[in-house]
Amino acid sequence: MPDLFHTPEARVLAAMLLCLIGAGVTVALDRRRRLAGWFSFGLVALASALVLSAVVEVLRVGPGQHGVTFFALPPMGFALRLYVDGLSAVFLALISVVALCATFHAIDYMVRDVPEGSGRFYPHLLVFIAAMFGLVSTTDMMWFFFIFWQMMTLTGWAMIRYDRRDAAHQRAASRFLWMMQFACAVTMLGAAMLAGDEAVVVADRALMRFDFDAVSHQMPILLARQPGWVGLALLLFLVGFGVKLGMWPFGQVWLPDAHPAAPSPVSAMLSGVMLKTGVYGLMRYFLWLVPAEALDRYPAGGWGLAMTLLGTITLFSGTWKALRQEQTKRLLAYSSIGQVGYILMALGLCLTLVKDPTPASRTLAAVALIGALFHTLNHGVFKSLLFLDAGSVLHATGTQDMNRLGGLLRFMPWTGFTALIASMAIAGVPLLSGFASKWPMFVAGIGGRQASVLLPVCTVIAILTSALTLALMIKFYGAVFLTRASDLVTARAAGSPTLEVGWKMRAAQASLAGLCVTAGLVPLLGVRFIERAVTASPQGLATLLTAAPGLNGTANPGLLPISGAAAYAPAVVLAFVAILLGFTTLLTRLGGSRRRIAAPWLCGYTLGNDSNRLAAAHYYSELHRAVARLSPTAGRLPAIPPRRPTPTTETAPASAWLPEKN
Amino acid sequence: METLTVILRALANVVVVLLLAPLFEGVLRRVTARIQSRQGPPLLQPYYDLLKLLGKEDIESGESPWMQRFAVHLALASVLTVVCLLPLGAPSPLNAAGDMILLIYLLTLAGICTLLAGLAAGSTYSLIGISREMITMMALEPLFAITLVIGALNVNSLRLDQVLDGSVYAGGGFPLSGLIMLAVMLLSFQAFVQRVPFDIAEAETEIMEGPLIEYSGPKLALFKYAQMIKLVIYSSLFVALFIPWGSALVFPFGWLWFWVKVLGLVLLVTVVAATHARYRIDQALNYYGGLLGVAFVALILAGFGY
Repeated sequence: MPDLFHTPEARVLAAMLLCLIGAGVTVALDRRRRLAGWFSFGLVALASALVLSAVVEVLRVGPGQHGVTFFALPPMGFALRLYVDGLSAVFLALISVVALCATFHAIDYMVRDVPEGSGRFYPHLLVFIAAMFGLVSTTDMMWFFFIFWQMMTLTGWAMIRYDRRDAAHQRAASRFLWMMQFACAVTMLGAAMLAGDEAVVVADRALMRFDFDAVSHQMPILLARQPGWVGLALLLFLVGFGVKLGMWPFGQVWLPDAHPAAPSPVSAMLSGVMLKTGVYGLMRYFLWLVPAEALDRYPAGGWGLAMTLLGTITLFSGTWKALRQEQTKRLLAYSSIGQVGYILMALGLCLTLVKDPTPASRTLAAVALIGALFHTLNHGVFKSLLFLDAGSVLHATGTQDMNRLGGLLRFMPWTGFTALIASMAIAGVPLLSGFASKWPMFVAGIGGRQASVLLPVCTVIAILTSALTLALMIKFYGAVFLTRASDLVTARAAGSPTLEVGWKMRAAQASLAGLCVTAGLVPLLGVRFIERAVTASPQGLATLLTAAPGLNGTANPGLLPISGAAAYAPAVVLAFVAILLGFTTLLTRLGGSRRRIAAPWLCGYTLGNDSNRLAAAHYYSELHRAVARLSPTAGRLPAIPPRRPTPTTETAPASAWLPEKN
Repeated sequence: METLTVILRALANVVVVLLLAPLFEGVLRRVTARIQSRQGPPLLQPYYDLLKLLGKEDIESGESPWMQRFAVHLALASVLTVVCLLPLGAPSPLNAAGDMILLIYLLTLAGICTLLAGLAAGSTYSLIGISREMITMMALEPLFAITLVIGALNVNSLRLDQVLDGSVYAGGGFPLSGLIMLAVMLLSFQAFVQRVPFDIAEAETEIMEGPLIEYSGPKLALFKYAQMIKLVIYSSLFVALFIPWGSALVFPFGWLWFWVKVLGLVLLVTVVAATHARYRIDQALNYYGGLLGVAFVALILAGFGY
């Protein structure tokens, strides 16, 4: 038993147990919110440390042989076998980092005038985190999958309906609940279809019939005998995990309502991490389940094309819908659908390309998988950060309505600065993390013409969509942090010089922003991490990808895949930008001009106020009108918020300078 | 040694563009004036303008002055970084540091700076301007991306030295996709360089230079400089992609020939700008939409090797 505890699996289990015990304790701390917050944070920190040490060990030493079976009930086909390989390690690392920051942010955030105590929050949060740890490391495709999935879903549901005062939140929560139950049922049905009738023995190990390795072991035979049956099961997996990750058309049913309803640290966990369990599922079942020797019977290309198309539709439709939103967290939730679409597209590219046996295609497939995993990590970080920032804004101003916000950068410099980094990262600005992970996807997509003409076309749509992403982040950032202070913000700031949130919330935001910058400036860190992870997952099609001549970045400070046909060296770009920034600074100093502060010029009209500001609803209205003309529901213009009465003391009535009627 | 050469060549690119960009602007203004039967300013007027603006008072009216300063500096620095990536009559200096994807996103970054600057100024006019600018970017970025992707598909590489060398015609003869993209890029070129009839985001007579309305002094100088450089950048990109002939001449001739071609393109821009009236944003959107559709057809054709 003692050396059992040295395995990575045991540490993950210990982390889960810690969280579960903590959940029990925090129930008792219902009335002491601050204490409960610190206690939960301490536990999550401990659990994260355990999990991260397991991740480091898996990447350094390699995964264990078979994982560890902690508990088994053979007659039921029921076994808790955990196996932490490289793929699990990537997701475990993401979960623990985001969970750590979100819980730290929650300490202050949850001390608010919500009528409830914290007993309805922290226990759920801790069980939620434990469930995600379990979901990405269990090998049981049926019972423990069900248990962890339900732990995650039920606590998620409870946290989404945390604010009982709002009926819309209750509806959003129940829709989330039913969609997740549907996904659970569909996925379990898929697993039941693939599982054999009884336990099998693989390499002298008796495995339960629903064990991942047992199913994988039988896949070649099943693929040869009943390809249609396997296809149906895989379709069920695609639907089940697709619902989870917000794939078109399922995502828009539940995701945009559910994510904004939860308290912000939970929104961050939902968008940044929980969606990624769907990505994990798709990767695990589509790339790792089928052994490499059965590739010629496995229609990976078809599944890949389907995923590429679905991903492209998802990323475009999600981002497009996000462009119309006027609530901060709702906009971010739609944008999550868009960003997960990128990941899905990259996974599709990988599957399409891996089918082609030429070394060039295999390399591109590896590049696409790196893009997908890297974007999973990066999106987890910057989207959580954006939700935390939106939460801080909500905390400080009491509203999510972007029409009523504006000019917050002056009052919340820290939050504004971290939000700028995250917004630019998600929009794909070079030198930040979003670009570093979109870049491999685009390289693979454009290079993948041999596999299908669709791939470059989808890639161009993805590039087009990143302009849309930029537009929506400009809208979000501009309407909330830049422009001029709205009446609401001015009123809020009247009593105090700053609206900035406390140091705990700032620290959580700053550490995530630091990750965005690091991953953007040294993408090689992330790429190496993922390469190691994929190498440490020696199963299924992943073995083909590790065998492919991979990214040969060792000789170059940047990334140079496919024998130098594409290149990105952020260090060099940064150096040039820095030199040139120095030059422009010098240039502006040369003339010795003096600075003066003045009021903006509004052509002689009144001072700026809420009725002559450009509200968030009016951004890009020409574009929406142009599209409205094309759509079947033509003539419906974007809603314009009602005018609020504004002080008219500064203006003369219009009649004063209009010619009098005769 | 090689690193030093790269740095020197990149800086040479920057210096050449910094010196030449106002001259092209001067030519543009002069020729415009002549077309409109005016005398027009001296050719060197843009240099004087820039120097004078650098010494003028710098009035800050936004509520986020740090963002205003940062955005303005980054606007010029990012277009100059793009200049380091371009083959200006000689191979691209930073070829090994970035590919066409980086090029697309760096050009976007230059646009983002204008947007941030306009947002930070916060005047209603600048907000209308940035809303229009963003809509234009959403339409134009894919057009440019499609051109580069077609080139990359033809030469099966994303490297700038290969893509920015007439790659749209690569693979023999004049493929249909290349010709379509030539037409599309010609028809949208005024929009890329933000001149009439597609200078909708600035629209001096309507929203008073939109994003730039609150900027003066050195900040305005940097913006104006960046705009002049953008004219050179897009003209060079157009030359490199669509008019590659003669680029293999020996050093001074190939280099001179390149700049002659760029000048020719600038004159074309001038003539179109001087003889057209500005479109409204909704008219322009329909126009871009049509071009985008045609460009996607060209992309699919290129995918099949036509």
